[in-house]
Amino acid sequence: MTVNDIVKSLPLTVVAGGDGLGAEVTGGYVSDLLSNVMGHAAAGNIWVTMQGHQNIVAVASLAGLAAVIVAGGAVPERETVAKAESEGIVLLTTALPSFAVVGLLYQSGVKGQ
Amino acid sequence: MRELALHILDLVQNSLEAGASHVLLAIIEDSSADTLTIRVSDNGRGMDDATRRRVLDPFVTTRKTRRVGLGLPLIDMSTRQCGGYLRIDSKVGEGTEVEAVYRHSHLDRPPLGDLVATVKTLIVANPELDFVYRHEVDGTAFTVATGELTSILGEMPLTHPDVLAWLGEYLAAEEVKLYGGAKHEND
Repeated sequence: MTVNDIVKSLPLTVVAGGDGLGAEVTGGYVSDLLSNVMGHAAAGNIWVTMQGHQNIVAVASLAGLAAVIVAGGAVPERETVAKAESEGIVLLTTALPSFAVVGLLYQSGVKGQ
Repeated sequence: MRELALHILDLVQNSLEAGASHVLLAIIEDSSADTLTIRVSDNGRGMDDATRRRVLDPFVTTRKTRRVGLGLPLIDMSTRQCGGYLRIDSKVGEGTEVEAVYRHSHLDRPPLGDLVATVKTLIVANPELDFVYRHEVDGTAFTVATGELTSILGEMPLTHPDVLAWLGEYLAAEEVKLYGGAKHEND
């Protein structure tokens, strides 16, 4: 399953990094604690968070994540969008709360790790 | 980060990497202003204005092994999430002062964490460093300075197991006194 498959079936908006939509999604991770994500998310994961700081792009880049979903209607900061674009990180937003997004991801076949 | 103590370790590490021989760590809790301030001042090599403005960018780092540095960017994020801010003052050749301010009562503010273990770790790992730790709660404060300890200890090194055991007990007792004998938020 690619990031694009997920974007097409879930209420997600592509905010930046559209060039990476073809990336394969290996699984999912959800946490708002960045140090936890760095330690536990696996490469190729799609990450659900409410953080909008540019640090999420750095974490996604370090961990080799397929995409980041900023959930709960949180708005990524301007620097975050610019960094995601320049670093080639797929940045998605949704009004759905994290729990609902993760539920939908599971239903569409994305499992933990 | 789960605890502010981890940010403190990061900040002092930055000072050491900037070649500091003197580091002052101050933690100031002020209930009337509802602030918790972590201030680290050093006499390291300092930064020019252009560098200072770039250090909050996670894709800027002095590290050569990878191109992402999250120490200061993570502190910047955590302060802003808690109604606070991060301030950095620096002068080339003189040193740097970093001040992280949190709204004390903010629900998302991480706990301070184990300050006793953190201060002990910093002292043991850097026995040559002139390190001053000051913790102030609503005007009451205590200070530990490695320079003073060294002069009292004479020949005995700061890293001697007996000294460390004493230091741990002393710090723990002083921390308890600061909170008026009340239990610390981490206990």
